[in-house]
Amino acid sequence: MLVDQDTLDRRLGAEGYLADEGLLTALHLAGTLGLPLLLEGEPGVGKTEVANVLARILGRELIRLQCYEGLDASQALYEWDYPKQLLSLRAAEVEGRGVVDLYREEFLLQRPLLRSLRAASGAVLLIDEIDRADSEFEAFLLEFLGDFQITIPEIGTITAASVPFVVLTSNRTRELHDALKRRCLYHWIPFPDAERERAIIRAQAPGLDERSAARLVAAVHRIRGLALLKRPGIAESVSWARGVQTLTREGSSWLAAMRRSAGLLVKHEEDLALLGRHTAEVFGD
Amino acid sequence: MTEQSLLVRIGDHVHGFLRDLHDRGLPVPVPKQRVFLQAIEAVGPRDATHLYWIGVATLTASHEDLEVYSPTFEHWFGEVTARRIPDEEFPDDEASAPRGKGGEAPLTAAFGGEAGLKAGSSERERRPVFGPASEDDRAVLSLLRRELPGAVPTIRSRRRRPARRGPWIDVARICRESRRSHGEIVTLRRRNRPRRQRRVLLLIDVSGSMKQHSAHYLRFAHAVVGRLDRVEVFTFGTRLTRVTEPLRARHVDAAVGSLSNVVLDAEGGTRIGASLQEFLANARHVTVARGALTIVLSDGLERGDCRPMQAAVRRLSLLSHRLLWWSPLACDPAYRPVTRGMSAVLGSVDALAGVRDLRTAYEQVQTLIRE
Repeated sequence: MLVDQDTLDRRLGAEGYLADEGLLTALHLAGTLGLPLLLEGEPGVGKTEVANVLARILGRELIRLQCYEGLDASQALYEWDYPKQLLSLRAAEVEGRGVVDLYREEFLLQRPLLRSLRAASGAVLLIDEIDRADSEFEAFLLEFLGDFQITIPEIGTITAASVPFVVLTSNRTRELHDALKRRCLYHWIPFPDAERERAIIRAQAPGLDERSAARLVAAVHRIRGLALLKRPGIAESVSWARGVQTLTREGSSWLAAMRRSAGLLVKHEEDLALLGRHTAEVFGD
Repeated sequence: MTEQSLLVRIGDHVHGFLRDLHDRGLPVPVPKQRVFLQAIEAVGPRDATHLYWIGVATLTASHEDLEVYSPTFEHWFGEVTARRIPDEEFPDDEASAPRGKGGEAPLTAAFGGEAGLKAGSSERERRPVFGPASEDDRAVLSLLRRELPGAVPTIRSRRRRPARRGPWIDVARICRESRRSHGEIVTLRRRNRPRRQRRVLLLIDVSGSMKQHSAHYLRFAHAVVGRLDRVEVFTFGTRLTRVTEPLRARHVDAAVGSLSNVVLDAEGGTRIGASLQEFLANARHVTVARGALTIVLSDGLERGDCRPMQAAVRRLSLLSHRLLWWSPLACDPAYRPVTRGMSAVLGSVDALAGVRDLRTAYEQVQTLIRE
């Protein structure tokens, strides 16, 4: 990446993503040193979003690999297009041509990891929720993340034309292998402080004035202080702000709008009940 | 001072910092140290705070590492402005559940050798000792090991495996085999999603009222850990302890005996509700319970307010595939769950059964197989 940290900050800000200094440093280093970046944090703090925004500001293609249990190499790296191979064999037989080479480029199905290596001007590769994949899958990633290359026995080793910007995210539902962590830069995205969260909400919900944003954020911070099953992330507070905005535009009062749209913020029945018991202290000024 | 000697001194300072990290319990692998130095050279830190964040990105590998990293950094480079103190996002389960203790316990503890030597010691020194299994117990344990896999409910795996029959054609295999017969397809191969065992979660009550049964329960847990694919075992009394790793030791007496040093709240008070709440407050533990066969081995005699226990059991039941409650009291045919705690959770539990030792546990396993 050929931009310095301040430029990066400005461009991220222009796209409505407000990062703190730690995240900026981590992103800057990942770009400068060409190392993958492992992001952890509670759900909804903007781990996936940062890759989306990066792709936009760098003008690179975003390639996303969503991990799930049972994800294997044929879904992540490459696979041979077997039906096409069979058909071309048949065609060669019918036309009386010689046997075609079945392991050529045209029979190769490129999956996200291979695609990110082939992208001409480098890509932003997002390996999302790596903790959902089996731990064996991390072993597939080691060669890829270490040297940015993939070995296909029939073709040979494919090396990156230009190193992709790799972002891995994890929700920490299980511990990742040390071998994987050693190859990555690491950053934990915390919940933002009140000032930053106000700025984020105002960037994401245009038309919201300073005072309303402050009220919303104060309420969100008080709610995070309650013993909830799931604390609301930034994504939830942004959608709550939009919900409140919509309701007040339709003529609802502030307090009522905040209370009515609480379902956008907390997603458990128990949490809603808890919120109901603390209405006065949470939503009050 | 010449520029040269200044550079040497700066270099020494950085290396001293890295060595100190190691000494304070954050051993950073050499490749990561190299990345740290490369990063300093490539970026050129503006101030101490910037250097702090460069170190966070390159030297740490988890959120908890900051607890060592931050004070060490401040010791070597002075105060930083934007220092972040790790908050309690994920309660640290490693602290309460030492890892890899299996088999390391002194043999005297395993076989109860010292139990009678220190008579009348104070409450705090008293260590509960889970004694060795009797001959009869061993026989039941081997029966249990044989029957256990059939008792666990199964689920279809997401992964497709080659199989004799199944809804998917295994094109890769057909294509590979057809090369031997000049492109002719001789047999159709298929793929199927095989069934695999659901996760099993055991929550074992080791409080004072369960004194006679805890050792049996832990031996049962040892058999489960050794025989099934994906198992997690936790004990609770006044606090929650993860004991899956110690139970992986091969010999049942060594494994269960070593728990004396791990489960420090055994034969103490009961805080069922609070312990289960602690379990559910950890996102990593919640994932363990999701879709699992959960078995709570407890008498359900909760002291004080029963509402936390009721709420926790309800949530556990929503998360789990099935929630079984095994209680020693229920072995008595005349038992009715009328205590405040038990009657409150009864609605959330899929089945309440009587288990007081290995033989009754074996009976329950057979009931599960019949279902």
